[in-house]
Amino acid sequence: MWNPFAKKTEQTNDTPQQKDYKHRLLIVKILFLMAFAAAAARLVQIQVIESGIYQEIARKQYEARVPLVAQRGNIYDRNGNILVTNSDFVSFAADPAIAGDDARFIAHEFSKVTGKPEREYIAKLQTKKRFVWLERHLRPDVAELIPLKKMGGIVKMNEAVRLYHHDEVAGQVLGATNIDNTGVSGIEQQFNDVLRGLDGYVIMQKDGLGRQRPSVDYPREEAVNGHSIELTIDLQYQSIADEELKKGVARSQAEAGLVVMLRPQTGEVLAMSNYPHVNLNKIEHADLLKNRVVSDMYEPGSVFKIVTASAALQHDLVTLEKKFYAENGKYKIEYPGKRIRFINDTHPMRDVTFLEGMAYSSNIVMAKVSDLIGPEKLYKQARDFGFGMPTGIELPAEISGQLKKTSEWSLASLNSIAYGYEVGVTPLQIVSAYAAVANDGILMKPYIVQRERDENGQEVFAGEPVMIRRVIPKNVNEQMKKMFESVVEYGTGSMVKILGVRIAGKTGTARKYIDGKYEVGSYNASFVGFFPVEKPEIVCLVILEKPKAGYTGALASAPIFKAITDRIINNSGLLAKTMIAEQNVTTTAVLKTVNDGTVSIPDVAEKDAEDAVGILKQSGLAAKMIGTGDEVVRQYPPAGKKVERGSIVQLMMNENEHAVAASATKIPDVRGMSVRRAVNKLAAEQLGVSIVGTGVVVNQFPSPGTTIKQGTKVTVMCEPKAITTAQLY
Amino acid sequence: MAAEKNHIDRITLFVVLILMVTSTVVVYSASSTWALQKMQSASGLVNKHITKILIGLVVMFFAINIDYKKYKPLTKWVLIASIMLLVFTSLTGGEIKGAARWLSIGGFSLQPSEIAKFALLFHLAYLLSNKREKLADFKTGFVPLLIWIGSVVVLVMLQPNFSTGAMIFMLGMMMIYIGGARMKHVLLSLTALLPALLVYMISAPYRMKRILTFVGFGSDETVTTTANYQLMQGIIGFGNGGIFGVGMGMSKQRDLFLPESYGDFIFSIVGEEYGIIGTMIFMGLFLTILLRGLKIAKYAPDDFGKYLAIGITSTVILYAIANALVTLGLAPTTGVPMPFVSYGGTAIIFSSFAVGVLLNISSQTDLHPRERQFVESPALKPEPAVGKIY
Repeated sequence: MWNPFAKKTEQTNDTPQQKDYKHRLLIVKILFLMAFAAAAARLVQIQVIESGIYQEIARKQYEARVPLVAQRGNIYDRNGNILVTNSDFVSFAADPAIAGDDARFIAHEFSKVTGKPEREYIAKLQTKKRFVWLERHLRPDVAELIPLKKMGGIVKMNEAVRLYHHDEVAGQVLGATNIDNTGVSGIEQQFNDVLRGLDGYVIMQKDGLGRQRPSVDYPREEAVNGHSIELTIDLQYQSIADEELKKGVARSQAEAGLVVMLRPQTGEVLAMSNYPHVNLNKIEHADLLKNRVVSDMYEPGSVFKIVTASAALQHDLVTLEKKFYAENGKYKIEYPGKRIRFINDTHPMRDVTFLEGMAYSSNIVMAKVSDLIGPEKLYKQARDFGFGMPTGIELPAEISGQLKKTSEWSLASLNSIAYGYEVGVTPLQIVSAYAAVANDGILMKPYIVQRERDENGQEVFAGEPVMIRRVIPKNVNEQMKKMFESVVEYGTGSMVKILGVRIAGKTGTARKYIDGKYEVGSYNASFVGFFPVEKPEIVCLVILEKPKAGYTGALASAPIFKAITDRIINNSGLLAKTMIAEQNVTTTAVLKTVNDGTVSIPDVAEKDAEDAVGILKQSGLAAKMIGTGDEVVRQYPPAGKKVERGSIVQLMMNENEHAVAASATKIPDVRGMSVRRAVNKLAAEQLGVSIVGTGVVVNQFPSPGTTIKQGTKVTVMCEPKAITTAQLY
Repeated sequence: MAAEKNHIDRITLFVVLILMVTSTVVVYSASSTWALQKMQSASGLVNKHITKILIGLVVMFFAINIDYKKYKPLTKWVLIASIMLLVFTSLTGGEIKGAARWLSIGGFSLQPSEIAKFALLFHLAYLLSNKREKLADFKTGFVPLLIWIGSVVVLVMLQPNFSTGAMIFMLGMMMIYIGGARMKHVLLSLTALLPALLVYMISAPYRMKRILTFVGFGSDETVTTTANYQLMQGIIGFGNGGIFGVGMGMSKQRDLFLPESYGDFIFSIVGEEYGIIGTMIFMGLFLTILLRGLKIAKYAPDDFGKYLAIGITSTVILYAIANALVTLGLAPTTGVPMPFVSYGGTAIIFSSFAVGVLLNISSQTDLHPRERQFVESPALKPEPAVGKIY
């Protein structure tokens, strides 16, 4: 009976009309049944045969993989001062498919808060996409003003934004991040992977509007926050460098400038400043992000004479006293083939010693010396200093500079390179070379990362001094130091002289080589120096581009060097102390009364409290003691500084020192010991050791006798015994 | 058994009641997220649905108790009135979604096309029962009926509501065919739909796209159009349900993925929550209505009852099967609700009324003439007892 095709035999008594009716009914029934069969077949196809495909599609659209964003690591300076952290900003995204209905209202509200035109938002809300950023990185208090509850299809997200605590301080070194928090320059770029950390994710359930809710059924992977990085940069020195550079650039009307400071014994970068500065919180030009200290090369000019002098001295081709004729400032050279060339000196001289030639920066003397050295030795010396190669510092976009092979040299190349032309160097290479002289002739690899810690503060990497090679034998190095000190004492760099501090340095002025020719009136003025000479703490290079008011290194860059040195000496008690100790001042206070009412501060360190106050009173100064105890440990301002009569001198007393440094210890002298003995000796004093090189300890840092906290690492620099005995002692 | 001749067809009643009850469960699940989104109350839409179902039940029981023959003198005037209503709404009706399809009376949105559909159906049944012998003749029999059908269909299409117009047209043709019209006349009339379809397609680009996509000429870009998105989501719902379904109230497609999940696409939610078992049961329920309705039509005591039963059964089944085919992607996407199941306002009330009338016819019909024969002539073999459960 349910079978529509069953024979209906019982209906024999139907009229033809009834028969026809039932026939037609049957046809309609069959049509419907066919439709049912089609639907049923399709259901089997979708729900049984292809079910897996649709279940997969469905799963994908129900689940949303939401990243748990790792927090980017902080950046600190060498003393733990915060340089870069993150701050939370609020971003708004929209799903135009839903928010589009309210576009006018939403645009109006956003426009009210941000001040941007409404049509900008309306345009975004009318796109066909399901996701657009409406506004990114609004301050949280500003974001509060947007009445989110009245809007459909708007999503609010917290996004971390880098916060550079000191605006433009060390801008080019730290580097910038883009809007997606990826480092694009500087440390941010170089260590992006380390700083970024590992984003985790959580799988959320999603509805058709893209709204999500967490689900316990799905896996979750926690984010691993980025590592923090401690730089070797000293915030104080960096700030000083940044400020003084800015002032100096303004003073000499230069186009740009840069300052680099290294610690010679280790190669740590203490400061690296580029001017124009870049405020990383508000970058105006992306061009400003370039760190020219490593990414630009220039012709160094006279500062490159370090290569010539060291090559000549260590091959015993000259002595400091060797006489040269300086051609009265104009040296005519005839190269084979009747090519004539003139070399000029800014200080015309006749008979000078080699030492004086350096002090007064005679190109002629250097050209003559280079003839003695010859191309191969000069090239090798430049190569040994690291010119023509990247230093390998942990900064992006470092270039190698340009040091032609001798086979590519022209006839004039030897003489030109002798005083710093026909070579391209990076500022970092120059400062490293001078650091080698300051470090007893040993070239250290410059580095800028002191430590890397994971999110739990566990140290995962520590930057260590890396010795590259001995560039200058120790005895020759002393002569080098003497030469550079004479530059400051009476030569071209005499303006950086600071009373009480021995400074060595070199000026350099080079014509800028632009588009294949030397531009008239366009110079790079540089000054590089280190101090104190007896135990150099800092090597500092200053370069100004195109200074107009006084274009030479002596006039433009040296004053910046002096200003920086001045401030560092005055600000750094430790430095002052070591210097004063080295100076070995045991005489009674030198009373220097100057007519204009200023006095020079006498040295009262290591004196009894009563004596110190008495001496200061004699000079017309007041004393203020900090801490207790009866012995003065250090003073501020330091000795030798001229201050107004009646100024207060702060005296740090010994009890205070002890209180601070309860677990402090004095570093024993391990020089000359084998590495094993040195390590044992330092370990006995609860000190860590980081070893550079092998063999016998030739140098140590900090120096023997310095008081440091227990657990601090002492760096010992070693050399194989053979060299040590032959060259050092 | 003959004594129980006056019983209504309990199977049909039972099936319809099952549909109504299950629809509240399915609509609740399918509409909760949308209701929350639109009305801040998960049960907002299902409450409205339940109200309609309850009204529908009352109307149905009224209709069961009214002798269907009493409608005979009214059909013409009701049809004329509903045609006027169509004209009226076309001119003044409140616009919803760009089409004048709805008329709001006292809080209820009436679809005049729905009224016109049933009025036409009743009147056709009346005309067919009176003029059956003339129907084979084109001019005197076929054309007058075609004029009635045509006027309703054209007005509905002008609303514009092409799909409902087309459905009404097919319904009318089906009734005329069963009433004795020649097949070639019917087919000829159906071809008249083609130019209308053409005009309809050209008049709105989105329709053209929709139809072209269905036929298979759509570019990838059209996949993102609403209609296709909806269809795709509907099919995902079916597929995700698989054999056993994800379980009652566990649908995820209803979480704003599938637009109209509680309306025209409710069948997809059934498929998702109850799997192919659920969809096959639903198909079976409608199949039962079809078979029972045709049986009633077969044995109804008079011609008016026969044609009325045909018309009512065909309406319900045509809508059900069309809805299934649309949601399954076998027919072009168009707004056809699933009778009794879809959340769908007044359509439920009209369908309930129609089924009530059908049940009234059944109560005056001997659905088992052979059993009577069996009583009269016991020599005949006994038939299987299917259908005798009541």
